Amino acid sequence: MSAPRQPGDAPWHGVAAEGTDPARLARAVAVAVTSGGTARLDRALAAGSDLPAGDGRRAATAARSWAGRGVSVALRGDPAWPLLRCGTPPPLLAWRGVPPAELLRRPAAALVGARAATGYGRAVAAWLAEAVGAAGGVVVSGGALGIDAAAHEAAVGGGTLVVLGCGHGVAYPRAHAAPGGLFDRVVEAGGTVLSERLPDGVAHAGAVRARNRLVAGLADAVVVVEGGARSGSLLTAGAAADVGVPVMAVPGDVRRDGSVAPHRLLAEGAAPCTSPADLLAALGTSQPQAPQDTGRTSLAGLLPDPLLRALADAWPRPLPVGTLVARSGLAVGPVLAALTRATVAGVLVEAAEGVRLRRAP
Amino acid sequence: MAVHVAAVALSGLDARPVRVECATTPGLPGLRLVGLPDAAVREAADRVRAAFHRARLPWPDTKLVVNLAPAALRKTGGGFDLPVAAAIAGALNVVPPESLRGLAAVGELGLDGQLRPVPGLLPIVAALRGRGISRVAVPRDGVLEATLVDGVSLLPVDDLGELVAVLRGGMRPHVPVRPDPVDHRADLPDLADVRGQHLGRRALEVAAAGGHHLLLAGPPGCGKTLLARRLPSLLPPLGLDRALEVAAVHSAAGERDPRAPLDLCPPLRAPHHSSSAAGLLGGGSGIPRPGALSCAHNGVLFLDELLEMPRHVLDGLREPLETGEVTLTRAAGTVRYPARVQLVAATNPCPCGDLGREDRACRCRPDQVARYRSRLSGPLLDRIDVQVDLHRVPAGDVLALPPGEDSATVASRVTAARAAASARDGALTAHADAASLRRGLPPAARSRLARLADDLGWSARGLDRVVRVARTVADLAGYERVADEHLDEAAAYRLAPA
Repeated sequence: MSAPRQPGDAPWHGVAAEGTDPARLARAVAVAVTSGGTARLDRALAAGSDLPAGDGRRAATAARSWAGRGVSVALRGDPAWPLLRCGTPPPLLAWRGVPPAELLRRPAAALVGARAATGYGRAVAAWLAEAVGAAGGVVVSGGALGIDAAAHEAAVGGGTLVVLGCGHGVAYPRAHAAPGGLFDRVVEAGGTVLSERLPDGVAHAGAVRARNRLVAGLADAVVVVEGGARSGSLLTAGAAADVGVPVMAVPGDVRRDGSVAPHRLLAEGAAPCTSPADLLAALGTSQPQAPQDTGRTSLAGLLPDPLLRALADAWPRPLPVGTLVARSGLAVGPVLAALTRATVAGVLVEAAEGVRLRRAP
Repeated sequence: MAVHVAAVALSGLDARPVRVECATTPGLPGLRLVGLPDAAVREAADRVRAAFHRARLPWPDTKLVVNLAPAALRKTGGGFDLPVAAAIAGALNVVPPESLRGLAAVGELGLDGQLRPVPGLLPIVAALRGRGISRVAVPRDGVLEATLVDGVSLLPVDDLGELVAVLRGGMRPHVPVRPDPVDHRADLPDLADVRGQHLGRRALEVAAAGGHHLLLAGPPGCGKTLLARRLPSLLPPLGLDRALEVAAVHSAAGERDPRAPLDLCPPLRAPHHSSSAAGLLGGGSGIPRPGALSCAHNGVLFLDELLEMPRHVLDGLREPLETGEVTLTRAAGTVRYPARVQLVAATNPCPCGDLGREDRACRCRPDQVARYRSRLSGPLLDRIDVQVDLHRVPAGDVLALPPGEDSATVASRVTAARAAASARDGALTAHADAASLRRGLPPAARSRLARLADDLGWSARGLDRVVRVARTVADLAGYERVADEHLDEAAAYRLAPA
């Protein structure tokens, strides 16, 4: 290629997505880093004018940061740019893993909700996410703790898209960005971690809220699983409604703070999402005819009948181990031993609130 | 002429013999105490003088010098009053000087000449055993504590006048019979009070059977304190030796009623979470005194609200829990106190305490919960073998449930399991060598353990923890070899991820 060498031998060739001109990308990022954000770049791109000059040295630092993490970057309008229904699209997108345009050829469902999730919300999010994956769809979410994490985790195998509120160089949330954490696993399993920010963009509240419009704009349907009265998932739903993406909400416990957001959306006309079938119908796909009989028999082998029944009755709510013991009528020792076996076999999820079956019984 | 009486300087539980010498010398009338006395010992001069006056004993018009040898050893406390008074009485010929031969004395004098027991009487008298001492003069109020020591002939006296009369040969004091040891475990709160809460009861039983440290995490009102306070009722009674160790520490701490018989019940100490390092581990000005940790020696140390305790206090617990003793070094000297305790710690599941409650929502941010629970994974927590998340039993259920098994029933299982462990390892499982326990596993169990460690991501220390607990679970079930079932149960005694 004939692109001139950049200051500090910045790896623009490695960073530029397929169909993106490395030299133009270098100039664009220089504009962005010089103004400390992407707003000026956005205006320049919108005006269609030539990009002004910027600080090439700092742009090179950003490029190395991206390249070190295996990130690809595309500018708005480039061939790798995904279909994004959004009033204010970002000037650039940076991603690890499969290019979003390629991943989003499949139907995509955004599953969003509060970080302070209940065991119920997490279980429902995981239930929906797994069904989407099994039906060949993609789960889009914000990569935060709580509902987002539950949805991504359940969809890792089927392909999932994480939309970060920060840059790729910022470890937030720390547990997910750690080596071997959620984000690494998403990328390894053929998913994508996406960000509209420069690598060092920190996760301030405004940025995290802004990324919600991307979550909504990249999906074919948005499901709000759980959220409080001031939850960011209301913003996601609003953004989706603005661009005509269908919004669904999961009914919850009327006494819980976390049910306020979905219930408000239901009142405003969102479709109720009470099972994977509801969501898949909205996506225009159908549930695959894969009987889960094998799973059922392995469960019965791992968990004594009274335990299985108590867990199945409680699902999707988690059950405290003490309550489980009391309901099963079994001695504590055998119950604990069975729970360990089930956890190791991956059919049980344990959290501080208690244990629940990973899949719908 | 110079006469001398034997005494003991106590530094912690470490007793050093002291010779109290007295001589009359030319000079201005008065009493001079030399030999590195602290303020309390120096003030003995005034108390002894007043006691002589009260007992109508003569006081000379010459200078009296009392020397506490060895001169370089610091002497503390009020226990030197009586040996000083006896030495003076000998030097003044108030009592025949030869009557002081082989005499040791301990006790604090009042201005009326009455004798009072001092803290540490038990270790002091124990230290005099086998040192060529024929008689030990002790305050009569403390004689019962002194009788706990075998092989020492006691002279219990009420006041200075009585000691003088005894030494003059006029009377023979009555030495009471040592009272039989008591075991007041039956008076402790009973485990039958804990209704429901099967998980907590099982964890408590496993901890008691193996001597494992125990962590109870759960919302307020789920029964953490209720369970912890019932642990001593599940433990076997202390042997005489261990009970004496406990009595000696309590005596040195000034916590023991000197008239009480020996108690075979394992002690329980529950210091508040605002306790200072000195209060918990031992300390104070001068010679450090034993803290709650040492007072719980051979028993149970219950730390409620573990995560509310200052970090440095918790860190200070690590080494004593490992070695079974606490070493305190201060300017005044280094002392060691025994500290072999079984730790029971309790904590809320999250900062607000409501995480996992069905009737109320937790108000903490997720990162707060994660940070709070990550504090639970520090090096101290690595040493706690049995960890459980407890939940509230709804109030209605508590009333409807029948009482649980009582302490005596559970204690008999615990005793049987402890006997099996002691026959095999010669120690409680918690103190057994984890490597040798691991070697003792059947091959099938060993490969199961490796798989569990892989799947659940344990550290080496976590692995040892599970091996030990599995051994205890097998002991409780009466199994000679550890089976998969026991490993699986042992693996469940850890906190859930946040």
